[in-house]
Amino acid sequence: MSVSQTIPGPLEQNLDSPVAEWTLLDPLHAKVALKGQVNVYTLAHTWTDIRQKQDLWLAQTKAKNPALSFDASQVTSLDGSGFAFLIDLEQAQKNASGQFEIIGLDARYQPLLKEFEPIGNLFPPAVVKPKRSFVVSTGMATQNLLDDSAGLISFTGHLASDLAWSVCNPAKVRWGDFVNAAVQAGIAALPIVGLVAFLIGVILSFQSAIGMQQFGAISFVGPLVSLGIFRELGPLITAILLAGRSSAAFAAEIGTMTVNNEVDALVTGGLSPVRFLIVPRVLAGILVTPILTLFADLVSVFSSALTLVIYGVPMVNFYNGMLQVVGIEDIFSGLIKATLFGVVVSAVGCLRGMQTGTGAAAVGISATRAVVSSIVLIVLVDGIFAFISYKTGF
Amino acid sequence: MTNTPAIDVQNLTVGYGSNILLQNLNFSVNAGEIFVILGGSGCGKSSLLTNLNGLHQPLAGDVLIEGQNITTAVGAERQKIMTSFGMMYQQGALFGSMNLLDNVTLFMEEYTQLTQDQMKLLARCKLDLVGLLPYESYMPNEISGGMQKRAAIARAMALDPKILFLDEPSAGLDPITSADLDSTILDLSKNLGFTFVIVSHELASIYAIADKVIMLDKKTKSIIAEGDPKVLRDSSPDPRVHQFFNRIMSKEVA
Repeated sequence: MSVSQTIPGPLEQNLDSPVAEWTLLDPLHAKVALKGQVNVYTLAHTWTDIRQKQDLWLAQTKAKNPALSFDASQVTSLDGSGFAFLIDLEQAQKNASGQFEIIGLDARYQPLLKEFEPIGNLFPPAVVKPKRSFVVSTGMATQNLLDDSAGLISFTGHLASDLAWSVCNPAKVRWGDFVNAAVQAGIAALPIVGLVAFLIGVILSFQSAIGMQQFGAISFVGPLVSLGIFRELGPLITAILLAGRSSAAFAAEIGTMTVNNEVDALVTGGLSPVRFLIVPRVLAGILVTPILTLFADLVSVFSSALTLVIYGVPMVNFYNGMLQVVGIEDIFSGLIKATLFGVVVSAVGCLRGMQTGTGAAAVGISATRAVVSSIVLIVLVDGIFAFISYKTGF
Repeated sequence: MTNTPAIDVQNLTVGYGSNILLQNLNFSVNAGEIFVILGGSGCGKSSLLTNLNGLHQPLAGDVLIEGQNITTAVGAERQKIMTSFGMMYQQGALFGSMNLLDNVTLFMEEYTQLTQDQMKLLARCKLDLVGLLPYESYMPNEISGGMQKRAAIARAMALDPKILFLDEPSAGLDPITSADLDSTILDLSKNLGFTFVIVSHELASIYAIADKVIMLDKKTKSIIAEGDPKVLRDSSPDPRVHQFFNRIMSKEVA
């Protein structure tokens, strides 16, 4: 390996620019002499400089067969960037229908230089991306929306049938996955749900108390706030927190499995990915969301009662006022709604995970879409529920 | 031979926590050499590679890259050593959000003062060497696994490092592409003086390119053979080495 003796390692490389001299032998014949060590760190300036001189010269000698000689006899070492430099010079000569010759290049570099032939391939024409017209973009967006809706509907059917199957065959449900998902989405979510619920209770009571105090109606704040919490805010806070935590987590987990072909492996093994991956997670969502909601309700009402003590409302008065307004059906209405939210949040997270494309970025996109779709669907379900309870009085 | 070897490994112990994979390794790789690491699955070849390139800290011992100790270097000194070699990971590890050309130019943008056009030309040369020139605008997920590996080799060569670590470069390639890759590796090594450290199982490729191999053993956690692969195949007295090079099934030996 005698070659290696002449080649310095990168650590002791000479960081001075290699010297290149541009000489005009006669108007139609120029010469470049390159000296020293050529490497990717040091060549930049020389490369730009010589190419500028070449372009200037070629512009002057238009269509008169200009010839450029490249003298490489004093080059001590050359790397890939040196080859690229030579190729760049040669292509510029070709474009101007001129001649190019290399003199004195060490024999050891010849085979590698030949590997790049024909060099024209290294200069592909610039690709112009076709611009989409407004009509086409609108059409594609509409098509995507329709496809997405169709996917959602067929997924709902698939999930419903597999859930029904699971009820008939409980022994075949992956209870291990169910427990893991329930722990992750449920127990691990207790601190954040508790914190947010507590603060919402405090803020709601304060804001209501400020207004109601002016009308001497401070004793009505307790019933008002607690009814709102049990019927609406408790389920909503819990569902939105679950959308941010668990829906995204399900999407990322199943999305990564999709990227790694694990979902394909289930399909080719004859197993339904919906039954195998999604049913346990949706069941976990159905179990934990009402429990978390009840927890959020209690924490919120308690923090509201604490806040109103500052305004001189004793806890007993708060409690009695609350009992007059909030019935057991209000609490159940909230919990039923929470259960629906639980289904939506966990199922949408899993669906977005299944729809993941390829690559790391796709998993991130799926997680984002899971959260956005979950929140949109939560609001939609909430609206439908409000309409039904208005019509039925439940 | 130069006085300083490209890589000098001294009393290296590789492992994770209390799980020791390889113990007390000593070997050196000369500049311009094609050095192949062999061994059965799970014996710690890839882990050894991540210790050589400074990604993981060895449990004990030193790794000297061109005389500089990478295990103790920090900050700018460490970064300088890191830019003196390129690494190709087993799965390619291309950046999924960039096309092949951008994958190759990324490190040039950071470390050189080349213009965009110059970087693109240089990157195209690298892609040409691995036969991927027509695919420069493809995203990594649009090409096959073997192509991703080759693109990863092009990326590892982006700054023309004198040392290249390749983790199973020819696994999963068709015989023709594999032979082309071997010829490129030989060219770069013999003509430009690149040093290659390669983890490989492809015996045909090893015979064609390797100057020197070391063979690792899982049971003894050590190097059990070192030298020219053809010599080892024909005349190693060690039955484990003989078995490996002659592809003899484990049952026949037992």
